[in-house]
Amino acid sequence: MNGESPRIVGGGAYAPRNRLSSEAVAEAWGRSQARGVERVAVPDADEDSLTMAAAAARRALAAADRDAGSVELLVFATTTPPVEEPELTPRLGEFLGVPETAARRTHAGGTRAGTAALADALAALGGEVETTGVGARAATDGSAPAGVDGPALVVAADAPLGEPNDETGHAAGAAAGALVLDTGRPEGDDASAASGARVLARGEYATDYAGTRGRERGAVETGGLDVTTYDRAAFREPATGAVDALVAGAPQTAPDPSEVDALAITAPDGDRPARVAGALDCSPDRITTPVRRLGDTGAAGPLVGLVRSFADGPNPTGDADDTHAATGAAEHHTLCVGVGSGGAADAALIAGTAPVSTRLDGTRTVSYTDALRLRDRITGDAPAGGGAAVSVPTWRRSRAARYRLVAGACPNCGALSFPAEGACGDCHDLVSYDRVRLPRTGELVTVTGIAPGGAPPEFVPQAERGGDFPVGIVRFERDGETVDVPMQVCDADAVGRAGDASGERESDVGDTAPESSRVTAGDTVGHVVRRVYEQEGVVRYGAKARPVDD
Amino acid sequence: MTDAYIVGAGQSAFGSYPEETYRSLFRTAYERAVPDDVDGDRVNEAYVGTLGVGGRQIGLSGPAVTEHLGLHGTPCTRVENACAASGYALRQAVLAVEAGVADLVLAGGVEVMTDTSAEATKYWLGVSGETEWERMAGTTFTGVYAQMADAYLREHDADRRALSAVAAKNHANGARNPKAHLRFECSVADAEAAGVVADPLTLYHCCPTSDGAAALLVASEEVAASFDDRVRVAGFGASSDHVGLYDRETYTAIPASERAAATAYGRAGVDEPRADLDFAEVHDCFAVAELLAYEDIGLAAPGEGARLVTEGVTAADGAFPVNTSGGLKSKGHPIGATGAGQAVEAFEQLTGGAGDRQLDDPERGLTHNVGGSGGAAVVHVLERAGVTGA
Repeated sequence: MNGESPRIVGGGAYAPRNRLSSEAVAEAWGRSQARGVERVAVPDADEDSLTMAAAAARRALAAADRDAGSVELLVFATTTPPVEEPELTPRLGEFLGVPETAARRTHAGGTRAGTAALADALAALGGEVETTGVGARAATDGSAPAGVDGPALVVAADAPLGEPNDETGHAAGAAAGALVLDTGRPEGDDASAASGARVLARGEYATDYAGTRGRERGAVETGGLDVTTYDRAAFREPATGAVDALVAGAPQTAPDPSEVDALAITAPDGDRPARVAGALDCSPDRITTPVRRLGDTGAAGPLVGLVRSFADGPNPTGDADDTHAATGAAEHHTLCVGVGSGGAADAALIAGTAPVSTRLDGTRTVSYTDALRLRDRITGDAPAGGGAAVSVPTWRRSRAARYRLVAGACPNCGALSFPAEGACGDCHDLVSYDRVRLPRTGELVTVTGIAPGGAPPEFVPQAERGGDFPVGIVRFERDGETVDVPMQVCDADAVGRAGDASGERESDVGDTAPESSRVTAGDTVGHVVRRVYEQEGVVRYGAKARPVDD
Repeated sequence: MTDAYIVGAGQSAFGSYPEETYRSLFRTAYERAVPDDVDGDRVNEAYVGTLGVGGRQIGLSGPAVTEHLGLHGTPCTRVENACAASGYALRQAVLAVEAGVADLVLAGGVEVMTDTSAEATKYWLGVSGETEWERMAGTTFTGVYAQMADAYLREHDADRRALSAVAAKNHANGARNPKAHLRFECSVADAEAAGVVADPLTLYHCCPTSDGAAALLVASEEVAASFDDRVRVAGFGASSDHVGLYDRETYTAIPASERAAATAYGRAGVDEPRADLDFAEVHDCFAVAELLAYEDIGLAAPGEGARLVTEGVTAADGAFPVNTSGGLKSKGHPIGATGAGQAVEAFEQLTGGAGDRQLDDPERGLTHNVGGSGGAAVVHVLERAGVTGA
């Protein structure tokens, strides 16, 4: 370790584009039980917590100006993993290009997982953060890997699911937040030495509140006792307890919780964070977790709220989706509180801001039925008849190409080949390629739409959930050479629509217009990691094209 | 080296035949191709094209067919090049004859596609495309050709109605073919109004999946002399290419077709296809494929293919008829049988046996058969015996 205190040097946040309004829920069930929620984010048919994590992480790394290849610690938090087992950080790391030697940790088991992941990274990076309170020792007694200089990447992604007609189900949203922590600065970048946000103090508190929120063994939906007073106490007591513990150990110069600029807190609905704010004598207006327009984002909520706090900073821009420059303003203070079901909470007081990059806008309004389909509540399995069998070993062998678009440059003629195997497409020599990453953006050169009735068998579940989807060929250019890649296009309506000050955007295309009609050859697209299909019980992930503005 | 002649050609009707098997369908084609007085014992070699739709007999599917015909002991090879399987089977037969290793060879193909579920059929069609990358992007076979159509229409500023004109022309021809699967006419407006399968392709821009078989008897010059009907294989050519569209140098042509045609023309002495040939049977699995074929085999300059069909040049009564059989679009596309079926139509035209579709005394014709979206192609120039004194 180099002895410098760990700093948060960048943040990213991501939410799916689909929005389900509380009015639509009320139309279906008579009322919406999600207090303080106007709309919720609904994952697309090819999204899950792992793809959202990748999207947020990539933004955080870009904002922090850190390369994934330099990451020494990857910590991932979710209560809704796409599979129960195995460990997900190897795949998430592969999506991003995190070295195989980086340390990895996963946090789950409750909605405190996101802030626990942050605590884990802070502990691993050392520094002089004061942590006090009940449970503090348990969190830092060696679970974090030691000897990490950084950067550390902390990612929390969640997409909770409740019963269709209860308060958890009505509030269920989806999002991911990511932070990059470091003890130093990028090589050759003196200017950023002082940038970033510093954790001034931490506190923890835990007490046994059984049954307030959780999933029974084998269940998909999160539920609870629905005992109002008990539930509120089970949320408020650990939250305020952790903050009290934090205050006890905070520097004398630290502001009182009632004076912080932002409160980033777990938000199962819009009511409970406000009650905690009230108990802390802090204005509810300072809550930055976007529960009103994203819904319950579970373990991701506090990190998304923290990133939002950085985005607003001392000089709020009002733009929800953009890259925000670092201010490093020490006078901006955020209280980040993670509250987990079962009565555990931790709190961190963070001074300053960091550059962030977010995509939290909604570009498509979906009906209640659409939401049920997208969330796989009323759709079926892949049909009989089989699909093209690309074996898991074969898939693994090509993962760099599938996740990160690693292509081959011919050492003889310089031509690019994708994937990097077989004879060079240009000089036809059987060569050993130099591995190169294709640029972030390319041009769509052909496109068509695949209707649900015409989808290949392995894509039928996706088509049933998300409807028709565009496919095309994307041309990437690198050092004067071009190479074409067949790609599915996701989020086809993602481009070219201005948002309002709240960051909300609505599609200007009728809801029934096919996705494929929204993209055309000539469009500029980037690439993101999404679910491709599931076979043999293994989710296959891969790069898909996504429209970009430039 | 001897020239190779087609001395017999026949096919089953193409369509949906739940009472037939792949063996019984091929038997029908065989009995129509082989004159009654030719004993099966005379067949020295056999090549059978099939993809194996439904996976019912992938291994040894060639011998599974020939044993049914009583060709006991005849060397038999299954040829699989997706939709060009039996076009390549014909080429193998010609090579065997020209090499002097056989005097009488059976070439043909068969497929049964309508007795599997829609999903299973999609699986079997899909595996003829590039599976690991193209299909894993979610692309169907229709989707690949739709991308070619998208590129073609944009690059050449063409109207989608040219695609519909292909459909209307081929349905008009197929309506007069008793062996055709879809024996009804459709208008350009019908094709335009049909539901979109993969933009810009509508349902009428896509061929049906069919059951069917086709068979050809190929003979050396010496053996052919004893047959009444003889069509000389004046030239043949074949080529392969990247299986995936995305890997190719162009999306508005099928380079394998260009190379196959060039080779065939070189052997046959064809300098000006429009002048030196009288008709063609081309691979029109999707309407855009016929436009590409016009250009790939030299009937039209790049970008001019659409004009050929909209101006009626390729109509049955036009200056250069294309797909008098109805093509894959109307006649049908039982994958393994398609290439041989094209040669059956050419044989019938050149020997005056095409019935209501008969052209006015054609001397030379061409068959053009594409595998997948262009990963393989094979072209034959067929000539009425005696035209060039051969």
